[in-house]
Amino acid sequence: MNRTYTASSRTQLLLMLTPYLLGAAVLVGLPALLSLLLAFLRYDGISAPVWVGGFNFQLVLANPVDLLFPISLYNTLYFVILAVPVRVLSALALALLLSRSGRGVGLYRAAVYLPTIIPDVAYALIWMWIFNPLYGPLNLILDGLGLPTPGWLADAQYAKVVFVVMAAFQIGEGFVVLLAGLQNIPPEYYAAAAVDGGNVWQQFRYITLPLLAPWLLLLTLRDIILSSQNIFTANFIMTNGDPYYSTLFLPLLIYEEAFDRMHFGPGSAMTVLLGLVTAALIGLILSIVGSWGETDAS
Amino acid sequence: MQNRWVSFCLLMAFLFTSACGQGEVQPVSFMVFGEPAELKAYQDLVAAFEKQHPEIKVELIHIPSQGDYRKRLAADLVGGEPADVVLINYRRFSGLAIKNAFEPLGPYLEKSDLIAYDDFYALSMRAFSLNDQVICIPQNISSLVAFYNKDVFDAAGIPYPDAGWTWDDFISASKALTLDFDSDGRIDQYGAGVEPTLIRVAPFVWQNGGKVSINNALTLADPLDLEAVQWFVDWQVTHHIVPNAVEEKAESSESRFINGRTAIYFNSRRLVPTFREITAFDWDIAPLPVGRSDATILHSDAYCLPSAGKHKQAAWTFIEYANSMAGQTLVSQSGRTVPSLIQVAESDAFLDPNAKPAHSRVFLDVIPFTLRLPQQANWADIEEICDEELQRAFFGEVSALEAMQSAVKRALPLFTENE
Amino acid sequence: MQVNSKRRIFHAIAFHAVSILISALFILPLVWMASASLRQPGLPPPRTMEWWPEPLAWSNYNRIFEMLPLGRYIFNSLLVAGIAVPITLVTASLAGFAMTQLNRRGRESLLGLSVVLLVVPTVAVWVARFILFRTLGLFNSYAALLAPALMGSSPLFVLLFFWSFRRIPRELYDAARMDGAGPLEIWWRVALPLSGATVIVVGILTFLLYWGDFTTPLFYLKSQTLYTLPVGLRQLQELDRTNWPLLLAGAMVMTLPSVLLFGIVQRFFLPENRLAGIYGQ
Repeated sequence: MNRTYTASSRTQLLLMLTPYLLGAAVLVGLPALLSLLLAFLRYDGISAPVWVGGFNFQLVLANPVDLLFPISLYNTLYFVILAVPVRVLSALALALLLSRSGRGVGLYRAAVYLPTIIPDVAYALIWMWIFNPLYGPLNLILDGLGLPTPGWLADAQYAKVVFVVMAAFQIGEGFVVLLAGLQNIPPEYYAAAAVDGGNVWQQFRYITLPLLAPWLLLLTLRDIILSSQNIFTANFIMTNGDPYYSTLFLPLLIYEEAFDRMHFGPGSAMTVLLGLVTAALIGLILSIVGSWGETDAS
Repeated sequence: MQNRWVSFCLLMAFLFTSACGQGEVQPVSFMVFGEPAELKAYQDLVAAFEKQHPEIKVELIHIPSQGDYRKRLAADLVGGEPADVVLINYRRFSGLAIKNAFEPLGPYLEKSDLIAYDDFYALSMRAFSLNDQVICIPQNISSLVAFYNKDVFDAAGIPYPDAGWTWDDFISASKALTLDFDSDGRIDQYGAGVEPTLIRVAPFVWQNGGKVSINNALTLADPLDLEAVQWFVDWQVTHHIVPNAVEEKAESSESRFINGRTAIYFNSRRLVPTFREITAFDWDIAPLPVGRSDATILHSDAYCLPSAGKHKQAAWTFIEYANSMAGQTLVSQSGRTVPSLIQVAESDAFLDPNAKPAHSRVFLDVIPFTLRLPQQANWADIEEICDEELQRAFFGEVSALEAMQSAVKRALPLFTENE
Repeated sequence: MQVNSKRRIFHAIAFHAVSILISALFILPLVWMASASLRQPGLPPPRTMEWWPEPLAWSNYNRIFEMLPLGRYIFNSLLVAGIAVPITLVTASLAGFAMTQLNRRGRESLLGLSVVLLVVPTVAVWVARFILFRTLGLFNSYAALLAPALMGSSPLFVLLFFWSFRRIPRELYDAARMDGAGPLEIWWRVALPLSGATVIVVGILTFLLYWGDFTTPLFYLKSQTLYTLPVGLRQLQELDRTNWPLLLAGAMVMTLPSVLLFGIVQRFFLPENRLAGIYGQ
C-alpha cells in the first residue's frame, strides 16, 4: 500500500506512531515487567526491597490462615460466570430488537446506551440507593407486590447479585458493536432466505448468528477479562468487600494489599497470577483475530 | 506558530508540576480526617497560626474517613511526597513509626520554649512513643463514652445514665427505649447504636477482666474476653436494642442518632462538633456502663512529621503551635478534642458549662482507668480482621465463639510477621 | 391484503410497546436518582413507593456545594478532560492513520498489539505503574492522570480511527500523494476532514473516560486543591454514608454533564442504517 512513500514519508509515519508505541511501552510494557520483578520482592515502598524468591506466591496461594486470595478469586469467577452471559445475551437481544430503522428507534437505542455513560462513582451511588434494603425503590416495589425483600448488599447471599445486575445495565458498547455488525449483513441474504421460505428463527440461526459469531466471541472474551476489572470502583464505593468478604473481588484485594497494607510483593504476585490467566485468554483471542488484516482488503 | 507552541508548552509545564515556589513564604501541607464540623476547627487553627506566623502558609488537606485517610497516607508515603504534617491515630501509628516513616519529635520538644513533655497527659504521650522516644505530639486524650438523647429519656420517663450505671442498667434502659411508635412491625427508635468493631467492644472486655491481646496473640476467645464479646453481640442478636445488618445498611446508627431516632450512641469526643449542630433535641454524655470494673479505651490522635517531608522546621513550628495553649484551646473550643494539655483540659475552653455536652468532665474523670490497645507493627491489619469477624457475630451470622476463634487464628501470623 | 396490514399494525404496536418498556427500564435508575436527590434529608424515607418527593428539597444541591469545594473539583475535572480530549484525538488519530498506511505486516502486528493492549487488565499494571510514576516524579500532578492520553487513552480509540480511515476510498489518498503530500499532510487534509463522526465519538468517549475516572486520582492526587469530582463524590459519601438525598444530589451533578453531552451527539454513536456505524468495519 505504501510502496510509493519516500524515505522521509516513512520517517513521518514512524513519528506518527511514536506516541502510541512509546505510551504502550512506558504505561503497559514496562509496568508489566516491573510487576514481574516486584512479585519476587518484599517491598513496602519505604524500606529497601528484599529478594524473597517465591515466598510471595506461597503466601498468596498456599496460606492456611489467610484465604483472601482464593475467596476473592471465587467471588470474581462467580461474578464473571453470571455477568458475562447476561451482558452479552442482553446486548444481542437488544441489538436484534432495535436493528430495524423507523420512528422512535433512535430514542430507544439512546435509552439503552444511557446507563453506560454514567460515571462510575455516581453509578455506584445510584445502585446503592436502588438496592437500599429498607428505603430503596426496588424493595419498596417488591414489598408492594407482596414479594420477599432481600437485604441485598447487607446479605452475603445476595450481595454479589447486585453487582451482576449493575453490570447488566451497562451494555452500551456491546450493544452498539452488535448493532453495527447486524447492519453490515447484506439484506440480500435475508431476501434469498425469504424466497426459500425460511422462518424468522431459521434466518437467525443460519444467517444472523454465523455472521455475528466473531463479534460475539470477541465481546465475550473481552468481557471475561475486563468486566471483573471494571467493577473496582463500584466495589470500593458500595461494599469494600462486605459483608464478610462476600464481595471482595480481585482488584479490590490487590488494591488493599498494595496501597493500604503496603505489601507490594504479595500485591504484585496476585497481579502476576491474574496476568497469567489473562495471557491464556489473550492467546485465544489472537488466534481468532490474527486473520483480520487479511480478510478485509477493502 | 512557533510562539504558540512555546506558550502551550509553558502552560503544560505549569499544569504538570506541582508548583513549589521557594519564595519568602514557606508552604506546609497539613492532612487531617474528620467531618465538616471538625474540619472547621482545623481551619480556625490554621487561620490563627498563619496570623501569628505570616512566613508560613498552611495547605489543609481534608479526608473525611479514617479508612480512606490511611490509604491516602500510605500512597503518599510510598509516593515519597507525604503532607508535611499528618494527623495519626495511635492504633495506626506504630506500624508506620516502626518503618521510620516519622521524624522523632522528642528532640524538637526538648528544645521548645512553648511546650514540654510534662505539660501533657502521660497516657497520650506514651501512646505516641516508641522505645521511650517521643515520635509524635498527641493533640487529645479522648475515650469511648455514651452519648444520649435527653428528650427521648424524658419522654419515656427513664432517668439519664450516670456514672456507675451498670451493664444491666444499660440493657434495660435500651430495651425500654427501643420503640415501634406506629406499630407497623418496624422499629422507629432504637435504644442504642454502636459500630461492631474491636475498639467498641474492647473496653467492655477489659471491664470484664479480659485482655484483648497479650504476648503476641489475641485473647478474644478466652473465657473472660468471650463473655464480654458475647454480651456485646447480644445487644443485637438477643435484645434487638440496636439495628440489625439490613437496618444499619439502610441508615447508619450515627444518622439515626443525629435525626433523633436513637437513644444512646457510643462514640468518642470526635463527634461533638457535629452533634453541636443538632437543634431538634438536647443531648449529653455519660461514662460507659460498668461491668466487673471500670475501664474505657483511649482515642488519641497526634501530629506527626513524615521523614520524607520537605519543610520540617516550618512543619514543626506548626505542630508546636497547634499543641500550645493557644492552639489546643482553639481546637478544644470547637468541641473536637479532649485536650492532651492538662492545663487546657482543666480550663473552660474544654469544660465550658454553656457548651454541650454539659458533662464534658466525664472525659477527664475516666482517664485513670483508660486503657490503650497494644503497640504492634501490624495492629491496623489485626484490627481489620477482628472487625470483620466481630461484625459477623454481631449480625448473627455465626456465634461469638466461632468468630473470635477465627479472629485469633487469623491474626496470629500478623503478630510475628516482620514487614 | 387486509389481514397482512392488520398483522403489520399489530407487529408495530408490539414492537413499540416492548421497546418503550425496555427503554423505561434503562432510564429508571436515572429517574430514581433524580427523585431521591430532591428528598428532604434527615427524615426517615417513606415506606411506600414515592415517585416524586413533596416538597422538593432543591436546597440539597446548595448544601453539597457548602460541604465540599465541589465547584473547584468540577473545574479540575473539566480541566483534565479538556486537556485529555485534544491530546487523545491527535495521538489516536495519528496512530490510526499511520496503521492504514503501513504495509500488511506492519499493519497486522500493530493490530495485534492494539488488541493485546485492549485486553490487558489495568489492574495488572496498577502497582508497578504507581512505582514507575513515583520514580518519574509524576506523583500528585495531573501528568499522572493525563499520561494515558499520550497513547491515545485507549487502544480502542486508535482502532476506531483505523477503521474509519480505512473506509475512505484509497484513490483519495493516492491522489494526495501524487500531489506530493506526505503522510502528515494527508492525515490533516484528507483523512481527518472525512472522519468527523469518528472525531466526535472518540472525543466524547475520551471526555467520559476522564470525567468519570476515579481510580487514577484516588491513587495519585494528594492535594485537595487538585481533586477531581469523582474523588469529591467519594468524600461526600464518607462524610455521611447514608445521607441518600445529598449523595444522589452529588451523583446528579456528576452525571448531568455526561447525559447532556450524550444527548447532543448521540446520533453519532448509534448507527443509523446509512451511517453504518463508527464501530462497523
